[in-house]
Amino acid sequence: MAVNLYWMHCGGCGGDSMSMLNAESPNIIETIHELDINVLWHPSFSFAPPADHRRLLDALISREVGLDILCIEGAVIRGPENTGMFGIFEGKPKKNLVAQLADRAGIVIAIGTCASFGGVTGAGATDAVGLQFSKKDIGGFLGKNFRSGKGLPVINLPGCPVHPTVLMGMLTAAARGVSMDLNTYNAPLEYYSMLVHQGCTRNEYHEYRIEETDFGQKGCLFFHLGCQGPLAHAPCNKFLWNNRNCKTRSGVPCNGCTEPDFPRDDPYFYTPNIVGLPIHLPDGVNRPHYLAYKSMAAAAAPDRLKHRKTEV
Amino acid sequence: MINIPLNRVEGDLELHLELDGDRIANSWSSGIMFRGFENILRGRAPRDGLVLTPRVCGICGTAHLLAAAKALDMLCGVIVPDNAVMTRNLTLLAEHIQSDIRHGILMFMNDFINPLYQDQPFYSEARLRYEPFRGTSVIKAIRETKKILEIIAIVGGQWPNTSFMVPGGIATTPTFNDMVGCDYIERSFTGWYEREILGCSLERWAEVTSLADLDTWLEEKPDHTQGDLGFFIRCARMTGLDRIGGGHGNFISTGLKDLQPYSTRAVEPLLMSSGFIAKGEKFEFDQALIAEHVAFSRFEGYGSGLHPFEGITIPAFDPNPDKYSWAKAPRYNDHPAETGPLAEALIDGDPLFADLVRQQGPTAFSRELARFTRPAKLLPLMKKIIRTIDPKAPYYRPVGDIPDGRAYGLIEACRGTLGHWLEVQDGAIARYQIITPTAWNGSPRDANAIRGPWEEAIIGTSVKDPDNPVELGHIIRSFDACLVCAVHFCTRK
Ligand code: SF4
Repeated sequence: MAVNLYWMHCGGCGGDSMSMLNAESPNIIETIHELDINVLWHPSFSFAPPADHRRLLDALISREVGLDILCIEGAVIRGPENTGMFGIFEGKPKKNLVAQLADRAGIVIAIGTCASFGGVTGAGATDAVGLQFSKKDIGGFLGKNFRSGKGLPVINLPGCPVHPTVLMGMLTAAARGVSMDLNTYNAPLEYYSMLVHQGCTRNEYHEYRIEETDFGQKGCLFFHLGCQGPLAHAPCNKFLWNNRNCKTRSGVPCNGCTEPDFPRDDPYFYTPNIVGLPIHLPDGVNRPHYLAYKSMAAAAAPDRLKHRKTEV
Repeated sequence: MINIPLNRVEGDLELHLELDGDRIANSWSSGIMFRGFENILRGRAPRDGLVLTPRVCGICGTAHLLAAAKALDMLCGVIVPDNAVMTRNLTLLAEHIQSDIRHGILMFMNDFINPLYQDQPFYSEARLRYEPFRGTSVIKAIRETKKILEIIAIVGGQWPNTSFMVPGGIATTPTFNDMVGCDYIERSFTGWYEREILGCSLERWAEVTSLADLDTWLEEKPDHTQGDLGFFIRCARMTGLDRIGGGHGNFISTGLKDLQPYSTRAVEPLLMSSGFIAKGEKFEFDQALIAEHVAFSRFEGYGSGLHPFEGITIPAFDPNPDKYSWAKAPRYNDHPAETGPLAEALIDGDPLFADLVRQQGPTAFSRELARFTRPAKLLPLMKKIIRTIDPKAPYYRPVGDIPDGRAYGLIEACRGTLGHWLEVQDGAIARYQIITPTAWNGSPRDANAIRGPWEEAIIGTSVKDPDNPVELGHIIRSFDACLVCAVHFCTRK
């Protein structure tokens, strides 16, 4: 049985669709064929004329055509003053269409941080929120009690953009009816219970607290350059990006783009600190013990790291 | 009057048309989404634009990053090391190439499988090649563009949305082995592009310098008609794309002359020059002549155009029927101007496109041809850069705190001229204005009620079936519309 999928763009940059094209083993083509996914509509790639699209929407809304998977990319724009007129479709607020389709869908997947939590679009002045969360608060556009046809909350796949491997995995789970365990923000634990920091090639430097104080030095980016790898939940250093690398490995601090409060108010490329000690420590650590451990680690640092002989 | 929503553009666009019979008598292009970035950057640290502005657009984030980094370089007055200039541009070119191919194959060509063309001789082959997620060319284009993007990941961490460019250079330090990887990827991509897209070598293509040459080339070998480029040319001619989509005939490009602005080690003097063309005459490019109008945009009005250093963006809430777009109207010396690969080629004096435009005017065909063939110019340059980068030399020059002041970064993104204008006061961003390529191309009317480029380009076009306006699709998509980025970052005053 073919699985019907409808993809919708709301308040976002289109980056998740671009990220999707970068998936590998399986790639998007293989995923669609293997799972017999029928892409009813994707705004960047579908070729049906506007009138046919309208007919499709009518058929989905009247349930004449079943909607198994609804993918929404971008935050739901509610402003100004809850009219939704900052984001229009056919002269009407697009948010109405989001609500109608979500109500008909077997499973609703929020693709990317904007759709999940509001993200960069949510930081603007258009009263844009995630589908079921607004930053860390449950509710968002569809409300706390929303459940899709299969009885599920909106499944969040945060990331700015979403990692393509995560997207392929979740589409597969959705198409095959495999249930995924979720974290407090309704994101699959399989992908979001690990930290970006895990697997970074700078871990050796992190461990012994050998730090970069400016770009291009070999070292860890946590204590001075604002790396959020030890706080951000995502598999960037497990799956890597473009099947090749990731920001922290190459020397670009993680900016925590999978977190509900992305983008945070703190400046990027800088670690807020009190007397030289970061305010935000790695996820869940005990502060006094961590500080004691780090100063001992720095004292134990081997020369090869102190002299930046070890490649990253 | 009819309203037409358009898909396969990035972001949301609706066209409002007045028809006279089946011909378009008047048109209004309406950007129908406002993301309201005005509060995001104001008050933030100056470097934050490096993280946030790439998120304006998921396809050309590297271009936004470069424009943001260059504005900060200017503010710091720093001389960026050659290695960093080359690496930044290497990633920009990789992004252009991915975008040109993805747009051509995934978003433009599938208009030829529109039901309206069912009886055309090309239809069944077009369907085999370009059906979404299934077509043979689609599958290959996805595979190959993914590869070329790996170059950005190798030297910059990831694509989309890395932030590896920083004032003073780049944060990463690509190694010898990284360059080996880039070199291999560029070679294998060039091989594919020659084989499948052009159907000939880059050198053979470079010999096509006039419309007559193009016809000779097309007939020369079956490989030339069979490649995606040849197939495009055949479909485009059969459907009359070389007769529609004219426009004002004004063009703007910042060129690629920044490729080696500070270089001591020449990669190539310069690839493409900058300028502005009006009625066939070319002028020097001067960013001071850029202004944005809001007379017909849903923003609170001000007299005439404002230079982006003075720009203000206050959404207008009262429904004024005259104000029909969430995009502003950028003008160059009071003229609307189109931007993109065709403008780039014309301003650079490319003989093929100069001849095409002389004989046919700008058309949907010439715009898309310029896009399809741009990689033929960029790939050799990429190779040169890859082989010139010296992994032992510095990639970064420390700049310390960012001083107060005003600065801009102007570059060519894949869709055309992109500018960031930045003002820092007391160590924080006081104003940040962005003018994107689609803001130029898809702009609404200005204070003099002059239509924007694609509004003008569709005037006079016959639309056979208003429920299926494929002719409009061709024209608007030939501009490679990207509405997500026709937005504004700025201070609310
Ligand atoms: S650079 Fe970031 S992710 Fe890498 S080890 Fe340091 S803190 Fe962890």
